[in-house]
Formats: sequence, C-alpha cells, structure tokens
Amino acid sequence: MGSYQRFTFPFSAITGQEKMKKGLLLNAVNPRLGGVLVRGEKGTAKSTAVRALAALLPEIEVVVGCPFSCDPNDPARLCALCRGRLAAGKRLEKTRRRVQVVDLPVSATEDRVVGSLDFEHAIRHGRPRFEPGLLARANRGIIYVDEVNLLDDHIVDVLLDAAAMGVNVVEREGISYSHPAEFILVGTMNPEEGDLRPQLLDRFGLCVQVEGVTDPGERVEIARRREAFDADPLGFIAQWSEEEQRLRERVAAARRLLPAVTIAPELLDLVARLSLEAFVAGHRADIMMAAAARTIAAWNGRTEVIAGDVYEAAELVLFHRLREAPPPPPEQPEPPAEEQEEPPEQGEEDDSREQEPPEQPAETPPLPEQQDGGARNTEQPEGREEEQEQHISPPAAPQETVFAVGQPFPVKRISHDRDRILRKGSGRRSRTRTASKVGRYVRSTMQRKNDDLAFDATLRAAAPYQRRREKNGVAIAIETADIREKVREKRIGNFLLFVVDASGSMGAQQRMVETKGAILSLLLDAYQKRDRIGMVAFRGNTAETLLPPTSSVEMAHKLLEELPTGGKTPLSAGLIKAYEVAKAHLYKDPNIEPLLIIISDGKGNVSMGADKPLAEARRAAEIIRAEERIKTLVVDVEKSGFLTFGLARELAVVLGAEYYKIDDLKADTLVQAVKEMS
Amino acid sequence: MGAFKKVYPFAAIVGQEEMKRGLLLNAVNPKLSGILIRGEKGTAKSTAVRALAALLPEIEVVAGCVYSCDPDDITTMCASCRERLAAGEELPRARRKMRVVDLPVSATEDRVVGTLDIEQAIKKGEKHFEPGVLAQANRGILYVDEVNLLDDHIVDVLLDSAAMGVNTVEREGVSFTHPANFILVGTMNPEEGELRPQLLDRFGLCVNITGIPDPRLRVEVVKRRAAFEEDPEGFARQWEAEEERLRRQIVAAKALLPKVKISDEMLFLIARIAVEMGVDGHRADLVMMKAAKTTAALRGREEVTEDDVRSSVDLALLHRMRRRPFQEMDIDREKLQVIMGR
Repeated sequence: MGSYQRFTFPFSAITGQEKMKKGLLLNAVNPRLGGVLVRGEKGTAKSTAVRALAALLPEIEVVVGCPFSCDPNDPARLCALCRGRLAAGKRLEKTRRRVQVVDLPVSATEDRVVGSLDFEHAIRHGRPRFEPGLLARANRGIIYVDEVNLLDDHIVDVLLDAAAMGVNVVEREGISYSHPAEFILVGTMNPEEGDLRPQLLDRFGLCVQVEGVTDPGERVEIARRREAFDADPLGFIAQWSEEEQRLRERVAAARRLLPAVTIAPELLDLVARLSLEAFVAGHRADIMMAAAARTIAAWNGRTEVIAGDVYEAAELVLFHRLREAPPPPPEQPEPPAEEQEEPPEQGEEDDSREQEPPEQPAETPPLPEQQDGGARNTEQPEGREEEQEQHISPPAAPQETVFAVGQPFPVKRISHDRDRILRKGSGRRSRTRTASKVGRYVRSTMQRKNDDLAFDATLRAAAPYQRRREKNGVAIAIETADIREKVREKRIGNFLLFVVDASGSMGAQQRMVETKGAILSLLLDAYQKRDRIGMVAFRGNTAETLLPPTSSVEMAHKLLEELPTGGKTPLSAGLIKAYEVAKAHLYKDPNIEPLLIIISDGKGNVSMGADKPLAEARRAAEIIRAEERIKTLVVDVEKSGFLTFGLARELAVVLGAEYYKIDDLKADTLVQAVKEMS
Repeated sequence: MGAFKKVYPFAAIVGQEEMKRGLLLNAVNPKLSGILIRGEKGTAKSTAVRALAALLPEIEVVAGCVYSCDPDDITTMCASCRERLAAGEELPRARRKMRVVDLPVSATEDRVVGTLDIEQAIKKGEKHFEPGVLAQANRGILYVDEVNLLDDHIVDVLLDSAAMGVNTVEREGVSFTHPANFILVGTMNPEEGELRPQLLDRFGLCVNITGIPDPRLRVEVVKRRAAFEEDPEGFARQWEAEEERLRRQIVAAKALLPKVKISDEMLFLIARIAVEMGVDGHRADLVMMKAAKTTAALRGREEVTEDDVRSSVDLALLHRMRRRPFQEMDIDREKLQVIMGR
C-alpha cells in the first residue's frame, strides 16, 4: 500500500533549540545512544525537528528485499529469511539506503506494531505467512512517537519488550516468528498532558527539554522562515540544501571518527561521580553518559574526550534520570514545574513567580535539586511511615508541624502528589477494559462477549482455512470459530463528589483554609485526568448541590473560592444529598463508580427528621454503605488536642470508609488515597 | 450530504463580529488551521459554522481522488496521485466547493482515521484501506460541535494528524499514510469542561462569545430567526446579495493573499507581543502573522498595518496565554496596550 511522502522543513533551517538539535544529531551519529525524548511546551518545533532529522541520517548497507533491513556484513544478526538464503548458497544482494524513521501513531493497534498473519496470502495459498509490522520496518532505524505520553500502555509494553531484547518475538494468530528489532526510540511530548511511565522514560538514552525562544529577533526569524517554507516548500528546501549537505557530511564524518574516540580514566571517574550525585538507578546512565561524551567528541572532530564533553553529555543523560533522595524508591525527577503544577491562589504574592523554575533544572543537572532533595530527605521517611500506620489506625498525635506552619498547602507538595502517583507506574489516568463498544481498539480476543467484531482479526483467523471451505460467491467464508472480538481500552476518569462541611465550626483554626487546600490538590489531579467532579456543601439547615457532576474543574474551583462558611452542621442532610447525587450519576453512567469525599469534623447538630442529629447521620451513613458501588473517604478536620470527639472517625466506621485526618493531607496522602480507591 | 435543510445565511447573523471575522479569515487562508468558538448556549456558534459552508470558495481537485488532492501542488499529493503524475499522466481536474465535514462526538476511531475495507476483504480477499473522516476533510473544514466532549482517544488521533497534516494509519491490519490538511473548527460550551491544552493549541484562532447585551439587537436576532423559520427560502433570497458580496470578498482576498507583505517592524511587534504576553511556544507568532496578513488581504491591502496586527492579537492569543490552573482565559488588555503603544 502506498505511502505518502512529505516535504519537511529542513533541519538546518530550524532556529535556536540547540540542545534538542544536538540530542537528535548525536543519535544520528551514534545509534547506540538509545534515542532521545524531547519534552516541551507546544509549538517549539519538536516534531518538525524529528521529521527533519530523517534527511540527515547516514546511509547504511542493507540486504535487498529484506523486510527487516538486515546488515549483509553482520551474519550474527541476520533474520531467518536472510539466513535461509545464505544456507541455500545464495548471495545476499546489497544496497545502500538512508536510515529510516518509522512513525508510530498513537492510534496504532498491536497487530500492526508487532506484525501478524498476512491474510491475503493465507487466503490465496492456504498457508500462514508472517506480515512484518512496524517493529520490522524499524529494525536498524528509528521509531518516532509523537505525543509519546499518550501511547497506549499495551503498545508501550510491546515496545519495551522488543527494545530490551532487540528482538521481536511474535506468537499469535497461528504465527510463530521472531526477527531482529533494534531501533532507536525518539519521542516528543508535552508534559502538560501527563508524564511517561518510568520504564519507558529510562528507555530513552537522552532527554532534552525545549522552550520557546524569547528573543524577539530570533522569533521574527522563525516566523520569516516558516512563512517562506509555507509559501514555497520546494524552493525553500532547495535554498537550504547546501546547509543540509554540510550537516549531513558532518554526521557522516563524526560517525567515521567515533570508533577512534577514547575517554581517559579520570573522565570515567567524573562520569561515575556525576551519576552518583544525581542518585540515578542502575548503571545505564553511566554507560550512556560515556557513550554520549564520546559521540560529542566525535561530533567536534576530536578523538579524545574532554571534561566539557562529559558535562554536556551529563545534561542530556541525567535530565530524566535524576532522583532526589538517597534511600531510593524508584523515582524520577520532578519534571520542571509546568504552569499547571503550580498551585493556584495560596502563597501567590510571595512565591508564585519564583516557584516556577522552567529555566533552572536542565542547566546544571544534579546540583540545583540538592537543596530541595536534602530537605525532603528529612521529611519524607517520617511521612511515609505515618501514612502506613494510618491506614490501620489513626495516629496518636501527628506532629508534622514541619510543613504546616501557617501555610495551608505548600506549593511543592501538590506537584509532588501527582508525581508520586506517576511513579507508581499506573499512568496518569485510570484505564480500564471497557465492556461497552467505546474506547480504543488495542487488540483482539477469542472470547465472545458483546459482538464487538474485530474484523481484521477474524479475517486472519479464517484465512488459512479458505481453501477447504465452501464459499458462496465470496472470497472468504467465515465460521463461528473464527470470530474475534475487539479488546478496547478506555481511559476513564473517576467521579469525585466532594461533600464539604461548611458549617461554623469549620471556620475555626483555619480548618476551612486547609480543607480548601486539600480539595484544590485533588482538583489539580482531577484536571489532569479529566475526572468528573461534583460538590455538595452543607451548612445551616440544609445541604445543597453546589456543582452537579461536570468535568469543568474551573467551575469547581470558582465555587470553592466563594464557598462561605457558618451556621449549624446538618451532617445527615449532606450525606443524603450526596447519596442522591451519586445514585443519579450511577444511573447515567454505571461504568464510573462515584467516590464520596466527605470533609467534616462529624459533629452533626441538625437533623432533618425527629431523630437526634447523630443518630440520623448514622442511618444516612448506613444507607450509603448499602450501595456497594459508592466508595467513601472521610477527611476528619477535627484538630487533635486534649478534647477530641472522634465523631468523624465513627462516621467513617459506619460508612466503611477510608479515614484520614486533615493533617495527613500535608503528608500528601490524600491524592494517593483517592488514586488507590478509584 | 445534508444539503436538504436550508441553512441560515452567514450575512444575516446579528453581531458576534469577532467570531464571524475569525471564520472568514479561515475561509480565506486555510493555513490558519482553524478556530475554536467558545461560548454559552444559544449564541449562534453552530449556526455560524454551518452558514460558513455556503461562503467557502471553490477549490481545484483531482477528479475522483478521495483525498481531494490539489492537481497543481505535488508537495501535498497523495501517493496515488503522485504516482500517476510520475507516470506522465495528466491528472483530471474538477472544481468544487471546499467541504465542511462533520466529526460527531460519538465517532469511533476507525471511522475517523480509516480502516480495513471490509467489503473488499470479503468479496475479493484483498486488503484495502478504507478512508475515514480525516481523508474526507483534507483541504476542507473538519467541524466538531461540542469539541470538549470528544473522547480522549479521538482527540489523540486528531492531535497527531492536525499537527503534521498527515494521517498515519497503523491499525487493523492496514498500514497507510495520506495527506490530512484540514481546518479544524470547533465549538464548545466551557461550562461543560475545558479542552486539553495540546488540542487547544491546534486551533489557530479562538474566540469567546457571549450573548448580545443590547436589547435592540436581541430583538433583531429574534425577528430574523422568526423570518427565517417562516420562509427559509425567501429569507435566503433576501440575503443573497449580501452573501454574494462576502463570497466575492473571500475570493478576492484569497487571490491577494500571496502578494501581501509584512514588514520587519510588524514582525518585531508580533514577536514582542508574544514574548511579553507570555505565550507558550511559537505557534502564536506564526498565527498572528498569518492572521494579520489575511486580515490585510480581506481589507484589500497588500501591506500589513499595525491595525491588522492589533485585530489579530485577540484571535491568536486568547487560548495561548499561559494560565495557572483554573484561571479563566483572558488577555491582559492594559499590558497589550502598553506593548502596542510603544
């Protein structure tokens, strides 16, 4: 089938973004660098640069007609086909062609990535034949994933598998096949859309962060060039062809020089030291850094690595591997704070500007984090233990005044909440196999569930038998046993219903401030995952649905800001209202289980009926508990002191809810708790 | 498709000048890559987009090509047209209006990107690509009503192709690439949730619209709507002259556009605005430049003036301003004044 050839903006015509260009060029010189991940805001020529790189890639020798682009000079890594040809005494015809960039679209299905049965061939000849997929085409080349953070988990697994072994093993649909699959992975992404899984992140040898150019003169130049290209692509390409050729030659020269480049032992020490300072996991970083330093030397026409090369390499290699703390949970560095991660409102006047450090992190890798990391060290272990305990019993008296002093929700915390979730490897959104026919088709199954026919897979299943089957005028006869269904994955958000106590008692001791801070951190998380949210508040004599289920986090935020407090505590009314909202939502969308987040001190003092307020609240709680699909979480805002009532805790017991104290929130467990429950 | 229902004439829409201008700019210059119209219910968002279809200029296409390739532009041709051209064939030409292709919120991914042609597979046992909505939308307008309700995975697909003007399909047994240069037009009600930042950026322009506060104009809205509903054809006839004027203006502007020049001074102004207003990336500059040039063309000038730039700022920047979470989209007017006034 045809492929559409595009005319791309020439690499040499890209203005600025030197680090990104360097990262890409180094990979063109040395395929063992393991690819590059380009992270950055929208519209910073990320994709343009990667596509343009294709034109600069060196030529390699390949076997004519081999779908895996085998190297005729490397008998150890030949594919089965080529080996067969050699064994039959035939010669392998050689040809030269440029290293290829293979696009992996985020909509790809598994069969096309790993390869599958060729049904045309099977129908015609009654024999199964392997049809190579993307991994085959990418052998000895580059796989490019635009918006790599949106790639389906399942496809990521497949990629990781192949990348780790350099071989693609296919066992599916009656096909048993394996072929070499050594490729460089190049990805671009905008961190606003969520981050990458750590395993995948580590696969990228290098990582660069790009930002927009701020110099007006340079921006004008960018606009001018783009204008010229759009007006006359061919002419523009011709105009830059000399410059392109020069770069191409430089790549080729560096490639030739590379094997001769040596690195002195003391510089290897430096490499090790830099890695240690960055607390990286494993040794991949060291190896990559040394390789990158050598490649940089070759790029500069030297056969000897100098310290400057190592530092330059460190920036590229360590950026995404930095970790903060020595007792290492498998973490990645906090990505340079995006706008989004900056918390709204609080602390605005003092630090909102300084708190966003987009320029700082990439420059000198390990050090700037130090301070931060050091501080966290002392805090974190403590916080962790506590959170462990608290799943079982409430703490005796949380003493975590460290972060709390006066400021409701420290800025850094919030982004950390998110981050920690990411590190758990579960991705930024909940994904689920959906039973309904919506969601992304990732692969097929023999299990029959809902007549969601996977036609391509069904065809492949039926194809090998066509010669023997009765066909009534059509080319292919399908029997029940051939039917395959689609396995779909859908990212589902959660439905978070905040049930907020807005009574007078919440006004005391900044409780409401803390509560709002807590809700905000959850809203931030919801924003990233596109959760649905709703809000019920109770005060005075009634409860009110402030925000019916919506995905507009902005609305929730606005309402939260305006939420007044005061009056009595109609706890039972609040619970019943929340129950109604959750129930209604369940009717509408049974796939999404509501999570009630009840924020209160539990001191209900108004009832709707004749019962005592607390007894009524208890009954309401029992009703909620009886609906199994509704999950609950109670955040107790009662301050610990000499006199505590523990009413919220009792409520949590009746509800069968997870229970947290407001102080836990500062140990950033709440977001995590929500994540675990949903 | 769907030509049976009479469409309310574009020219008869009362007020909402910014939205109308944004749509017209896109009709003149497809490289502006679309517009996002945000606004409350009942503010003529969808009406305007549908009405635009009647004003769109004709384009030259390769007759019979599913991707509506431009017979004169080899750089954007699909593989099959290019092969035919390379084989020395004279490509058959046809002229037709630019299309508006609807992308319903319920669309499935296979229909959007295209998939395996089931009929060919069953009948002949052959594997062919069946083009989807993105193929139809090439060189036309892709319209998504309630774009903020679009499923996440469909958005991913859109992002992929909107960025590069190419649709790469690797699914369900088929592997195919084809041009997918479309003008992305979306309408949404922000109360239902916001768009993902990455998708937001793909819209060249963006307008926020609200109901008209002027009572007299509101009365006019109701009157015209009533007249239209009573006698759609008569109403359309009544507005035909005005529609025709707009149509001619678009065609003239389209012809003028390649000749429009922009001075370095104006480009510096644009760059300064982008930097000082704090936008992400460079798309804002490019869009402002294109919008200013297109505005000049619509106004019948060959030179971009400061006023052209000024009138493009809002459209290009509104959705690209850096915001803190939950902050509303807004442009700091005073700051802009200062920059422009310098």
